[in-house]
Amino acid sequence: MDGDLSISVDKLPVKRLEAIEENGAERFPPDLSYDDNRVNLIRRIDFAWAVEREDSNKKQKNGETTASTSSKDASSQPWPWQNMIENLQLAHQELSVIIDLINTVEANDAVTVAGMTRPKQLPNELLSDLAVSTATKLQCFRHLGKYFNQSAKALEKQVAREARFYGALIRLQQNWKIKRHRMAASAAGNEGFYIDLFDNTLFDPKSVFRPTPLSTVRVEHDNAGMLALNLSSKACHTLQFGFVNERSSNIVKGSNRQISEFSGETNKEAESDDDSVKKRHSDLREVHRAVFDEQVFNLINQEAFVPSLGVNVTGIRENHLQLNIDQEASVFISLTSSSTEDDVKPLMEGEEKQIQSFLPNRISSEILLKQLFHEHVFVRAKNRSLSGQPPKDGSNLLGHFCMSLAHRIFSSKVLAKLEDLAKTVSYVRLMSHPTWHSRTSTWTLVVDVPQSILHTSSYVASSSQFLTKVVVNDDCINIEGEGAPNVVGLFKGKSENSYSINRFECNLADLHVILLQQVASQIIRWLHEEALIVGMKASRDFLSLSFELDQGEVVGLAAQVDPEDSEGSISWWLVVGNEVTEEYKLQREDLDGETKRFLGHLSLDVLYSTLLDLVTMCNNNGGNV
Amino acid sequence: MNKGVAGGGTSGASGPTVAAATAAAQKQKSLQQRVDNDIGSIVDNFSIVVNVARVNDPPVRNSQEAFMMEVRAAKMVQAADSLLKLVSELKQTAIFSGFASLNDHVDKRTAELNQQAEKTDKMLARIGEDAAASLKEMESHYYSSLVRSNQHSQQ
Repeated sequence: MDGDLSISVDKLPVKRLEAIEENGAERFPPDLSYDDNRVNLIRRIDFAWAVEREDSNKKQKNGETTASTSSKDASSQPWPWQNMIENLQLAHQELSVIIDLINTVEANDAVTVAGMTRPKQLPNELLSDLAVSTATKLQCFRHLGKYFNQSAKALEKQVAREARFYGALIRLQQNWKIKRHRMAASAAGNEGFYIDLFDNTLFDPKSVFRPTPLSTVRVEHDNAGMLALNLSSKACHTLQFGFVNERSSNIVKGSNRQISEFSGETNKEAESDDDSVKKRHSDLREVHRAVFDEQVFNLINQEAFVPSLGVNVTGIRENHLQLNIDQEASVFISLTSSSTEDDVKPLMEGEEKQIQSFLPNRISSEILLKQLFHEHVFVRAKNRSLSGQPPKDGSNLLGHFCMSLAHRIFSSKVLAKLEDLAKTVSYVRLMSHPTWHSRTSTWTLVVDVPQSILHTSSYVASSSQFLTKVVVNDDCINIEGEGAPNVVGLFKGKSENSYSINRFECNLADLHVILLQQVASQIIRWLHEEALIVGMKASRDFLSLSFELDQGEVVGLAAQVDPEDSEGSISWWLVVGNEVTEEYKLQREDLDGETKRFLGHLSLDVLYSTLLDLVTMCNNNGGNV
Repeated sequence: MNKGVAGGGTSGASGPTVAAATAAAQKQKSLQQRVDNDIGSIVDNFSIVVNVARVNDPPVRNSQEAFMMEVRAAKMVQAADSLLKLVSELKQTAIFSGFASLNDHVDKRTAELNQQAEKTDKMLARIGEDAAASLKEMESHYYSSLVRSNQHSQQ
């Protein structure tokens, strides 16, 4: 290997001597065949140098081959084993050289440095590195700044939202009861606030005052931070009251109340906080009114089915109740959604018809109804809860209401009659006296008589006017008149004492006639008094005045009342007869010895002058006689 | 002896009050603690962010710190948000627990409304009287007027 080539030379044939026998005969090994020779020759080649490079695999292989060969040749030739061992030893040496080399490489610093050495940086490179990392950091901070800015804006917005919301809430809280459900706060945009519109002081498990679902209004917090109310569709129900017009079967309905739309739909950008809070207030008021209406309606329903005077239920539907007031009129009370109702035209028609049919004003009736229930139920309930006293029974309010309505209708009929009378009789004045009571009405008919020409001191007391008072209670008419002779007094013949005030009742059909008679008798009385003043013998009957002349002749002045007469209603007759009869029948024209002359409708002045004429006539007659 | 009785009475009566007071104190404490925590968190995180502003030599550190800054900033914002929530909680408490002012308002409002009702009643009464007076006057005018006498003279 290192240039020193070893040469192997075949043994000389002498040296091939195998054994020398004792006899000196030399024994030589048998001649080897050609093949055997070749194998021997190959075996003598030194492979040591080549083996050095072989890795362990090869060695193993070799080992195997040698093993196999050795197993073959073990019995026969032990020396190939030796060779094998030598080869292995060589391989071992080789390996140890390689391990040594590796160790050396590992241990040697020079080798490492040569691979990893960093070249020393230049100053400008160093600075640029620094600059890059500084810029990165700056960028980071800038980013951070942006983030802070953004979140600050978001937080500011949130603060503003909350300020608006809580501001509005506090302002609402000054007037409304605000409560909170912690459970309900889970939904987004809703902190669980709600406004309770139910009056706790009314609460009584036995009564009809139960909190309706209507009375809680949820408060929501919308995106703009505004406070929004979550109103149910029932929140705009209103109590409606009206008359059922039978002739046209057209229901007079429709309140002209301007229904403010709930402001949920209006644009929120335009309105300021103040306006929006005001709007919320008005919404809440509307809902509160709806709650009140519902309670009133429930009460009415409750009362409608308690049989009582004046209440006749004729129809019932959902949220609708129809009641009969009298033969002509029936009313309905219903709870309707006001948003659907927009017809104002029927209202106008209805009001015209109301005038014709004596129906009272619809709106004032509605107000009366609500007022009644408010006064007698709600205020009382409140007072009860304050004072602890049991309330006076506020029942039959509906009956009272129906009676009031019936009274209104009846009294307008009476008034129409009275106005007719005042219109046709020129010396009658009608005066109204407001009673401030829903079931009583009063009027006075005044007959103004001219002042007597002769003021005699004894008759100063005689009044210059006669009053007839008409009082209507529910549906009975009371007439209270002065000046007319009491019928009972007349029968007893004490006409002097019968000038006191008398009272009687009558019905609507007779009213006109009775009042006309009353007025006529008052005028008769006045004429009688005047005749007495001037010193005539005069006697007075219910509707006639008779003057006695000397010859037993009787001149009478008689009044005739005729309600159908549109011109004057009270007409006068001059009657001249011979006898004075107690039963002075005006209508009997065929009465013997009487002549009648129709004087017509006379004014009081003319009557008075007629009287004076009669006086002069009498005096002349007397003078003649 | 008196003292003892009074003491017993007050202790018996103020049972719920005491409980409420302790609850309120506890709540106050917890609120204060929350405020302290939040503000402490803001301050700490801010100082960390400021400290991290130093530029370090190995660039790996820098990117780590950038990430850290983001996290700290987020923590600060979160603390601020929590403070805000606390404020709104305080507002709610003020709204729902300010019974004195609420009662004042209710009383004031009741008085105002009563006054208004009275005023309205008076006004209605006055209107009624005015109407009655006007009616009377108009009636007397009408019956003494020429219209009426003419009407009758025409008849």
